[in-house]
Amino acid sequence: MVAGFGVELENVWVQFDSFVAVRNANVRIEPGEFFSFLGPSGCGKTTILRTISGFLEPSRGVVRIGGRDMAGIGPNRRPTALIFQNLALFPLMRVWENIAFALEVRGAGVAERRRRAEQLLELIALPGQGDKLVHELSGGQKQRVAIARALCAEPQVLLLDEPLSALDLKLRQHMRTELRAIQRQVGLTFVYITHDQGEALAMSDHVAVMREGVIEQIADGRTLYDDPATTFVASFVGENNAFPGRVTAEADGMAVIETAVGHLRARIATAARGQLAPGDRAMVFVRPEALAVAGPGVLPGEGRIAGRVTAEEFDGPSYHLFLEGPGGTPIKTSLVNHGIGRSSSIGATLTLAFDPMKAVALPAGELAQEE
Amino acid sequence: MKPLAWTRQFVERNGWPLAAYIVLAVSFWVLVLIVLPQLVMVDFSLRFDLPPAKQGGPEDVWTLANYRYFLFGPPGDPLGWNYVDLAVFARTLIAAVFVTLFDLAICYPIAYYLAQAASVRAARMLAVALVIPYWVNEILRAFAFRIIFGTGGLINTLLLTIGLVDQPIDFIRANVALYAGLSYAYVLLMVFPIYNAIESLDRNQIEAARDLGAPWWRIHWRVVIPFAKPGITSGCTMVFMLAAGALAAPQILGGPSSLWFTQIIYRTFFESVNWPRGAAYAVILLVVCTLLVLLVMRLFKVRLGEVGR
Amino acid sequence: MSARRRANGLTRLAVGAYLALFFTYLFGPLVIMSITAFNSSAFPRLYPWECLTFEWFAKLVGDQRLMTGLRNSLVIGAGVVVLSVLLGLAGSLLLTQIWPRARSAYYTLVTAPILMPGVVIGISTVLFWDRLAHAIGASYGSALYNGIFLTILGQSCFIASYCMLVFVARLQRFDLQLLDAALDLGATNVQAFRKILLPFLKPAIFSAAVIAFLASFENYNTSVFTISHYNTFTIEVAQKVRLGIDPSISALAVIVIVLTLFAALAREAWMRRAEQRRAEGPVPGGIVGAVAGNPAAVLATFLLVAVAGVAVFAARHDPSTCKAAALEERLERQRRLEEEARQRRPAEVAPATPAAPTGQVQNPGRGMFGDIFTAPGSPPASPAPPPAPETRNPGQDAFGDIFTAPGARPPPQQP
Repeated sequence: MVAGFGVELENVWVQFDSFVAVRNANVRIEPGEFFSFLGPSGCGKTTILRTISGFLEPSRGVVRIGGRDMAGIGPNRRPTALIFQNLALFPLMRVWENIAFALEVRGAGVAERRRRAEQLLELIALPGQGDKLVHELSGGQKQRVAIARALCAEPQVLLLDEPLSALDLKLRQHMRTELRAIQRQVGLTFVYITHDQGEALAMSDHVAVMREGVIEQIADGRTLYDDPATTFVASFVGENNAFPGRVTAEADGMAVIETAVGHLRARIATAARGQLAPGDRAMVFVRPEALAVAGPGVLPGEGRIAGRVTAEEFDGPSYHLFLEGPGGTPIKTSLVNHGIGRSSSIGATLTLAFDPMKAVALPAGELAQEE
Repeated sequence: MKPLAWTRQFVERNGWPLAAYIVLAVSFWVLVLIVLPQLVMVDFSLRFDLPPAKQGGPEDVWTLANYRYFLFGPPGDPLGWNYVDLAVFARTLIAAVFVTLFDLAICYPIAYYLAQAASVRAARMLAVALVIPYWVNEILRAFAFRIIFGTGGLINTLLLTIGLVDQPIDFIRANVALYAGLSYAYVLLMVFPIYNAIESLDRNQIEAARDLGAPWWRIHWRVVIPFAKPGITSGCTMVFMLAAGALAAPQILGGPSSLWFTQIIYRTFFESVNWPRGAAYAVILLVVCTLLVLLVMRLFKVRLGEVGR
Repeated sequence: MSARRRANGLTRLAVGAYLALFFTYLFGPLVIMSITAFNSSAFPRLYPWECLTFEWFAKLVGDQRLMTGLRNSLVIGAGVVVLSVLLGLAGSLLLTQIWPRARSAYYTLVTAPILMPGVVIGISTVLFWDRLAHAIGASYGSALYNGIFLTILGQSCFIASYCMLVFVARLQRFDLQLLDAALDLGATNVQAFRKILLPFLKPAIFSAAVIAFLASFENYNTSVFTISHYNTFTIEVAQKVRLGIDPSISALAVIVIVLTLFAALAREAWMRRAEQRRAEGPVPGGIVGAVAGNPAAVLATFLLVAVAGVAVFAARHDPSTCKAAALEERLERQRRLEEEARQRRPAEVAPATPAAPTGQVQNPGRGMFGDIFTAPGSPPASPAPPPAPETRNPGQDAFGDIFTAPGARPPPQQP
């Protein structure tokens, strides 16, 4: 099976008039991997995709696909195929004509186009549906036709621009699995754009988290979640409690930070090793599921935070408690539902405990100043 | 974006063949069909009417004589002003305004009904019914009015038969036929812009106003008309410009003693064969009408970009 | 509650009455004109009704000048359709991607011709090409002096704007990403245009072509200046109408109205069928299937059958007996009136019986004479003298009435 081409961005800047959409991006996407760009809307991820597909030329820097510099090569001559956010299926063509469009523009005959379209319909589990019109398909089917149409161009790299965002939740989860399966089957490099961190973590081998045109971290999903490189990544990927403060001590990869809720000990993030010295402004991040109601005895090294419960949410597998800590600091904790009768704790004061190895300390970036 | 960067992007986006087609076609249209002919017309209007032999000779210089003629008549004319042409011009403009207002009055209710009150199906049928008379030739429409209003026409025959009058009324001489025919000709151009504007008005706004106890005329005055203002202006502009520039209807329906300004232009061209003066009169018609429209738009605070949608 | 209901009923009544009045204004003139096409009275009138006749249609078809004009109009129409659609399409494509700051100025410039008086466009076109021909020393026989060439250009100046507006409306619903998608799949710019944008614009191209043709065909104000020694159909009709009115123009109107009506109904039927197909899947085939449940199609079919029926009837219908009777009656009335007049004012000279010379003196320059004498399709002369004008109608139309009447016999003075 073909492994697709790798994609490299080297010092890529994209600028529109005075607005910088992408700032010095350096990315290496391995052949055959499922790579995601994750970030809030307007962070520049779509610009990166359009730069890779050739609709935009970088203002500075180099884009290489399969090791070849792509400067001056238009979108129609790049070994990439793009799946658009709204899919951009051709409304006046039948399904098979849509799928075989790439062959049509190369001058292939009708018989060859039909044959290839039927093969691809087989692949996306829509055999025999080639004569339908696009508007007769369901949302999920359109999705798959768009993928088939892109695959028909025999690209080395498939680019996907939030293709699932128009689907409802159930279908979206189903399509995630399906996309990943298709990617394994065809063995191409997939570059995926999304603002949904769940999607990115579930499907990708590697994820680049972007913010305001800057790539903040490139890593696999576990690392992003457990060992974020910046305060933005820590708060954007998954839920997190953030406690700003100042470093009072630092040793063996651990730091003690004085915050509004007390002195908290936390593991220094890998990316921040050697960057935190006593007196520096820092932030401690503790995941809601890492906080538990404290037991009677204090375990050695255990972190403790106290607060009054202001609200409670129940979603089946877990309870979410919202607390107000000292100085009005909001705290959230998620407790597993054990199925035994449990009375509301609103108004009660609780002490929560956490393992310092599961808390992360990072230098306070812009995030601290905003708050 | 800088023009140069834009040009590069334009060519890249469309490819050479398409970009060349677009640029060439639009340049041909804008320059050769629209702008240059107007400029040449202005140039013509600023020259003397010379025989071909003298054109380009020493006497072929720029002059305001044709415009002076429009205002003061032939040099040495004792009257002082060119009363004939000025009166026709003024009468044309006033009559065009009158036709516009009349069309507005009869078309606004129809447009409102089509856009807000009628069912979708009925609205479509009515729209088709509106379009059909419009596609019947302008000349034939004028001819129909001649049949109706002529001295031996339908109305006079009826009036005489009933005995309401004992002499046929000369509607043609009184210009009744002309005004009715002109108003008739541009009904569609008034209905559709207003219809488009009112159609995009949220019905809830009208219901809210009604709910608040506003009488129907106040709902129109305060809610519908302000909202439909661009459409109304657009319709009025079109009807006014076309009525003032009409030629066929006045030629067919106009009374023998009253002229439309376009008829004067026509005669200057074909009877006096004085092209420079004809050009000057055409420039006057174009410029004065445009200025009037712009003035009214300024008064009603409608921007040019909103018109013509 | 009941008061309110009554008020509601009143409103409905008022709205209904208004609609009725409005559409009477809209259709009344066309209906009246159409009926006059079948009255043998030489002045197009509803009343008094003389005889049912189809002679005006024959006269119309036999009119050589009109038929030449029709041919010219078709040539010009074809040229305008091609040129205007090409220009309008380019104009709309440029509008979607023009440099943002130039956009509104550009839009104003290319839509301005719609508002410009037609005479101004006609004059400026003639002057511009005249000057250009002088500048390059073109001969009078060259295209630059050709009326048909100039008319195509002059009309396209503003008809291209109509076309552009049609394209702009359609393009607003176009997803520009479709072009990106095509490029991304390896299409060249030209392929993307041809395979994606052009098929999308096809209905708009069709509408624009129809609008362009109709606008060109019915144009008078611009063409009358640019056409030089040729004539278009509309200009011929206008000249006929100006010289004297005659029911063969009504006959022309009947043809135009029937064609328009049929086109409108056919279009409506076609659209409804497309809608049905979209809503319910395949529609039963065949003519019955196409017509069933589609009122517009029913009406269109009915119209076709009615026209065919009338044509068959017309071929057999002979109004000559009725016409002779009507003529007799008219003469009788004429004599009676003259008698009365003579008795009332014996001193005064009775209105001349062969009225033609009087008419000529009273109406110089109205071109009445040229019209009768050249009127084609006049039936062979009959021994009856021409009826004199009705004294009650001293106006121009009364004269026009007899003198332009093709049914009227040539006056005895004619050599």
